[in-house]
Amino acid sequence: MRRAYSIKRRLIASVLLVELLSAVCVTGLAFFYERHAHMRAFEVMLRGRAYALLGAVQDAEDEADNVMLDGTEKALPSRDIYQVWDEKGRMLGRSANWDGREPGWLAGGRAADERQPARLRVDGEGYRVIRVEGVRIVDPGDKNGGVRRAVTIFYGSPTRAVWRAVWGAVEFYAETSLGLLVVTGLMMYWLLGRGLAPLGELARQAAGVSAQSWEFVPSDAVRGTMELAPLAGALEMVLAGLERSFEQQRRFVGDAAHELKTGVAVVKSSLQLLAMKQRTAAEYAAGLERCQLDCERMEEIVAKMLLLARIEAAVEDEGKSADLDAVVRQVGEALESMAAMARVRIEIVSSGGMEVGVGAEQLEVLCSNLMVNAVQHSGEGATVRVVVERVLDAVELRVVDEGEGIEAEVLPYVFDRFYRSDPSRSRRTGGTGLGLAIVKAIVERAGGSVAIESEVGRGTTVVVRLKALRAVEGFV
Amino acid sequence: MRVLLVEDEERLAENVAAALREGPGYAVDCAADGRVGTELAAQRCYDLIVLDLMLPLLDGHGVLRKVRASGDRTPVLVLTAKAERASIIAMLNAGADDYLTKPFDLGELIARAKALIRRGKGVADAAIRVGSIAMNTLEQTVLRSGRVVELSPMEYRILEYLMHRPRAVVSKRELLEHLYDYNWEHHSNVIEAHVSNLRRKLDAESDVASIQTLRGRGYRLMPADGAGCEVGL
Repeated sequence: MRRAYSIKRRLIASVLLVELLSAVCVTGLAFFYERHAHMRAFEVMLRGRAYALLGAVQDAEDEADNVMLDGTEKALPSRDIYQVWDEKGRMLGRSANWDGREPGWLAGGRAADERQPARLRVDGEGYRVIRVEGVRIVDPGDKNGGVRRAVTIFYGSPTRAVWRAVWGAVEFYAETSLGLLVVTGLMMYWLLGRGLAPLGELARQAAGVSAQSWEFVPSDAVRGTMELAPLAGALEMVLAGLERSFEQQRRFVGDAAHELKTGVAVVKSSLQLLAMKQRTAAEYAAGLERCQLDCERMEEIVAKMLLLARIEAAVEDEGKSADLDAVVRQVGEALESMAAMARVRIEIVSSGGMEVGVGAEQLEVLCSNLMVNAVQHSGEGATVRVVVERVLDAVELRVVDEGEGIEAEVLPYVFDRFYRSDPSRSRRTGGTGLGLAIVKAIVERAGGSVAIESEVGRGTTVVVRLKALRAVEGFV
Repeated sequence: MRVLLVEDEERLAENVAAALREGPGYAVDCAADGRVGTELAAQRCYDLIVLDLMLPLLDGHGVLRKVRASGDRTPVLVLTAKAERASIIAMLNAGADDYLTKPFDLGELIARAKALIRRGKGVADAAIRVGSIAMNTLEQTVLRSGRVVELSPMEYRILEYLMHRPRAVVSKRELLEHLYDYNWEHHSNVIEAHVSNLRRKLDAESDVASIQTLRGRGYRLMPADGAGCEVGL
């Protein structure tokens, strides 16, 4: 199994990596700095010894006023090497451990910078050699202030000790850095464990949420964590939304179950009632007809529930469109006989070119639900006005009836599923309590809006607004 | 017996009412919402209330609470589509006596209705005996000293009511209220005629009057035979 990604491990690894890099850098810089510092000190020392050697150059007491080494140079460290030359190119003296050859870079006259020390290997050991030009004045008490004899001194000393010191320092830095690395790792492990505790707590609290218990209350530790507070807030919001829709869904399922069970209860009781005692053929026929009607009503409920579910799943109406004007007229014609029976006049005010993004089938369901409602709730001699018109970039459908109206207290619920404001009325007219819920679902699916206003005794107006597909022609 | 049926589903109410009328011969009043149901129940003339839970205006729980709060002890049989335990517990705790989940069996509904009415009147057995009169409410048969007495439906209903309340004085008004629903035009002389027929049939081969008439007060069913006749006339 693949190891799970761990923020803690990742953070520790990142920090340790950065620290390792800086340790390498520090160690490297330390090396250069230490080498530079030690070498400078070393050169100063070399220079000092070279000048001490210059002090050993004395008047040779001959006619030519030559100079010579007086022997005090023997006091210099035995591992050091040196050569002393005069201006005529004679070697005045050298250490025993250095051969008599003049160092090449001097003899070649390459104008080597005398300040730059040269590296040299003598007897397998690394040396650093400097060149010092000096002047010895022979017989300074004579006229003209004596004779000036220029002397060139090459002085070198083994660098092993210097390097040892440099490496010692580097080693110290490296070891300290590595030690720090270990300490940092341990500290981070502990601190991150503590620091990330609210995250674990949040996870535990979130894990406690289920369809049965939606309660999600982040602890103060979580809320007080700047990075976690937005997450906890988002979780809370999402959960609240989920709970709402879950509750809605559950209520729908409960309501649907209630409706279906009631439907089954009606059919079952009708049949049982029929079987309760011997009846005449006419009674049986009437009873069976009632059973038939009961079944049809149940069928209608099931069909509407399925329609509602299909609309909400939104699989079939994608990208379809229809002309609201044509659909309204078509539904108006279909309802003519029903309206005539109820002595209600349907008046349609509409013009063509009202394309909206709802399929013809669903648009028909929408219009017929609204118009049938309006007709059913109208008294005799009333008029149902259906108006379709353009309002800016929307198409508006208004269904206005002069019916008994709906009380203000139930108005907000009329779009709820299975809601029947007045059961005796809607049962009589065969309402399922799903008509307006279906209207709302269709409209919302298409990104439109639906509103209802009503006044008891005056009538009800339902306004559906759908986005117009075509721009208004002839408008500038 | 008279039953109040509070059910908003019209067809179901029709069927249940028809079954209660045709089966045990009860008088049934229907209410389509909780408010009407509560108002009717307040008349206190029912021997049983059959109550749907999901009702408009005032739901079944509300009706139940109001009925019980008014001190009404009428048995209540709840009809519900919700078979959830919590809902059933809440319902029984609110004062319901029994429940049936939809879709229910009409036979079961009638049996439970009978049982609840019996219990409401302090009777446990479906076969009731008062003195020498024996009534089987399941078969709807009546025996007087072992002899079958043929009764009309109305006579049976009157006797059934009196059998459930032996020794108690039952006024004509009470009989009217408990035996007829609102759809009947009722007059107290109808009761008098029925009681008179009933008494004639019951006492045909007995010299002891089974149903006493207390002038101005009503009727009383007495354990007519032997020691049971201590009241006398």
